[in-house]
Amino acid sequence: MTSRREFLKIAGSASAGLVLGLRLQGKARPGAPAEPVFHPNAYLAIRPDGSALLTVPKSEMGQGVRTALPMVLAEELDLDWSRVELRQAMPGPEFQHLGTGGSTSVSTTWMILRKAGAAAREMLVAAAAQSWGVAPDQCHTEKGTVFGPGGRKASYGELAEAAAHQPVPKTPRLKAPKAFRILGRPTRRLDGPKIVVGKPLFGLDVRRPGQRFAAVLRCPVVGGTPKAWDASKALAVRGVRAVVQVPTGLAVIAEGTWPAFQGREALAATVRWDEGPNAAFNSQDLENQMRSALQGPADPARKVGAAAPALAAAARVLEAEYAFPFQSHTPMEPMNATAQVRSDGATLWLGTQNPNTAQVRAAAAAGLEPGRMAVHVTLLGGGFGRRSGTDFSTEAAQVAKAAGPGPIQVVWDRTDDIRHDQFHPATLHHLKAGLDGHGRIAAWSHHIAGGAVLRSWLEGQKSPGQAETEANGAWDIPYDIPALDIAFAEVQVPVPLGWWRAIEIVPNVFARECFLDEVAHATGKDPLALRLELLGRRGRVKLGGEEVDIARLRRVLELAAEKAGWGRKLPAGHGLGLACHAYDRRTYMAEVAEVSVKKGQLRVHKVVAAVDCGIVLNPEGLAGQVEGGVAWGVSALFSQITFEKGRTVQENFDTFPVLRSPDMPQVEVHTIASLEAPSGMGEPPVPVCLPAVLNAVFAATGKRLRRLPILSADLA
Amino acid sequence: MPAFQLTVNGRRRSVDADPETPLLWILRDNLGLTGTKFGCGIGLCGSCTVHQGDKAVRACQVSLQEAAGTAIVTIEGLAPHGLHPVQRAWIEEDVAQCGYCQPGMIMSATALLADHPHPTDTQIDAVIGEHICRCGSYPRIRKAIHRAAKGGAR
Repeated sequence: MTSRREFLKIAGSASAGLVLGLRLQGKARPGAPAEPVFHPNAYLAIRPDGSALLTVPKSEMGQGVRTALPMVLAEELDLDWSRVELRQAMPGPEFQHLGTGGSTSVSTTWMILRKAGAAAREMLVAAAAQSWGVAPDQCHTEKGTVFGPGGRKASYGELAEAAAHQPVPKTPRLKAPKAFRILGRPTRRLDGPKIVVGKPLFGLDVRRPGQRFAAVLRCPVVGGTPKAWDASKALAVRGVRAVVQVPTGLAVIAEGTWPAFQGREALAATVRWDEGPNAAFNSQDLENQMRSALQGPADPARKVGAAAPALAAAARVLEAEYAFPFQSHTPMEPMNATAQVRSDGATLWLGTQNPNTAQVRAAAAAGLEPGRMAVHVTLLGGGFGRRSGTDFSTEAAQVAKAAGPGPIQVVWDRTDDIRHDQFHPATLHHLKAGLDGHGRIAAWSHHIAGGAVLRSWLEGQKSPGQAETEANGAWDIPYDIPALDIAFAEVQVPVPLGWWRAIEIVPNVFARECFLDEVAHATGKDPLALRLELLGRRGRVKLGGEEVDIARLRRVLELAAEKAGWGRKLPAGHGLGLACHAYDRRTYMAEVAEVSVKKGQLRVHKVVAAVDCGIVLNPEGLAGQVEGGVAWGVSALFSQITFEKGRTVQENFDTFPVLRSPDMPQVEVHTIASLEAPSGMGEPPVPVCLPAVLNAVFAATGKRLRRLPILSADLA
Repeated sequence: MPAFQLTVNGRRRSVDADPETPLLWILRDNLGLTGTKFGCGIGLCGSCTVHQGDKAVRACQVSLQEAAGTAIVTIEGLAPHGLHPVQRAWIEEDVAQCGYCQPGMIMSATALLADHPHPTDTQIDAVIGEHICRCGSYPRIRKAIHRAAKGGAR
């Protein structure tokens, strides 16, 4: 694996369980619904009563996979949508690639699921045709029923047993998109009715017989260890059962979460830490290192033409530095996992984006083979990349192993969650644009300095694809510029880094699209006109070996600008700004933001988004993702994590403020109708939001904000 | 130590625990009512909102001894026989993304509607602005509250 791109390809390369014809032996549980009799593959099963059990091979964190992916299966299978029940896939031989991230769930599973559904439908039709003595092509299906000539019909439930004896078709016929009856219709979340009545759906809701609770006292400085402590103070707290040492710190085991927290507080008053080698780490020093790194050698992410001579020969060179801070994920459900470790086997219950790796690592921590660690994936109370990490699941297995055979829920409080996040890294960006005598961009240089998320992901290894991964969003600049120099200069940071909603693309597109705006204003061009000129009338082009359809990007940009009324007269103090990007070369996004700045107060009134993500599976889900992506983007303009004395300054939502309802802009979503293969929507709405807002701030005030977060003094 | 008596979702419950224990953890760990969520523990996010009498309160900020003798309603008890109109509106507007913060939002929304049957956007923001949703479901929350206020269903 060389890059995130490779990683995503592997993660998506045909989940196992595609193998048709696989039949599982089910054991009947008393009181449970009748066991499925037709189980042609790992993704679906049909019970004699006609209800369908669909397996979701990706984790649900709010992005809607537990609705969109079942819609794909149900479409090809012609199921009755009201008879669909869901089962969450567990890691195992059938499901080896459950990893959920990179907005890839739809693009990587869509064909697999279509084939799985279509094959099962053909088997049901074959069973019906056989019993009626007619040809299969005389039959058709609708809402869980096969219809034959002469008014004959049979429900899938009635046919299930006979269908199980039919041969599995090797190349099932897929529907033409125009025949879709379920896909493309606004469809509400299947889990919605359970969510609104507070059913136990999340990791923290897991309750097992005999369960205990644990809080871990970790050194606030990453890499620090406890030197001395007095457990008696913790053990004196009512409900505390034990204090055990684990690799991450000291775990207080108790009968409830609160006694565990109270016991931990008592323990904290007695502990002496060896803060280790990172005790002096701080954000200011790191920024100085990043600035030096921008002067030194950098790993090339993409080079086109000869940028250095072109810059040297340019009639005019513009340059600027942009800065993006560390960020925390802060999903509303803090990290947690419930683990039970016995000598013969173990179980994990948790919300994770990474069930297979969680299984392998937790099993290793428990001293077991991975196959002995059962992993139950719950709903995730927010993921945003944080739950791709396995630190919290491995730690839970360590605590459970140290504390004895019963189930233990390790609960992080909000301070744990922020302080021990796997942070989105801070970056500094140095951009240069060389203009020719006509004010056209002859060369573009974008150098990025900061920590490498990919190295953290690979547990310290530097991969050859590191620069390309960290410069994603910078190297795939879609504009027609004759010379490009895009590079990444790594600065080692001692805190763990992780992927965050829309990853490195957020800071990279922020810097790129704001700097392009600077070029527009410096050359007296309209920001929309300049972008359209640089996109040109091109179609599919290769950017660094990957194909991008520039015409699709141009169309979303034009659509967003048109719908937002680009160029219209605005009230005093208001401004419009825009940005566009082909996210991971797959999802085409443009956003136009309208802001006002009055008395130093920035208000984002409205964001108009245009998107082309190929075939839209669920328009309702898509709209939700754009709204959520805009919320994430606006929130990121105002938040930051800083380090002093090796630890985060921020500890909770008072010091790490996130977007709240009164500051949520109105969001308008426009979609391009398309028959292209569907791509992802969880992340793409985020990156363009930040530069659209900041470019609007410039339009409103003439102030160019190059440094995030926005501080009140910036607009005073 | 004597046990504390409180009424939760119409049932008398007796709880023997440290009097300073936040109601949040009594509900979740002692009474098995996990619909009330833990988000920040310091009253900033609203995930743990329940009704105490006719008021929406943060269960992480009410101790067991303060809850004793009062009537508490949680998301599980909001409409024991079916769905509250606010819950129905939430489904209709497809509000939830990850869904974690939604029980708290719904408890605040129902209390708001009891005080202001037809709230303005500003009144909604004043209440929902005390909550946090990281998925950005705010526009749909507003729509759902207006829908519930109208008593409409799609």
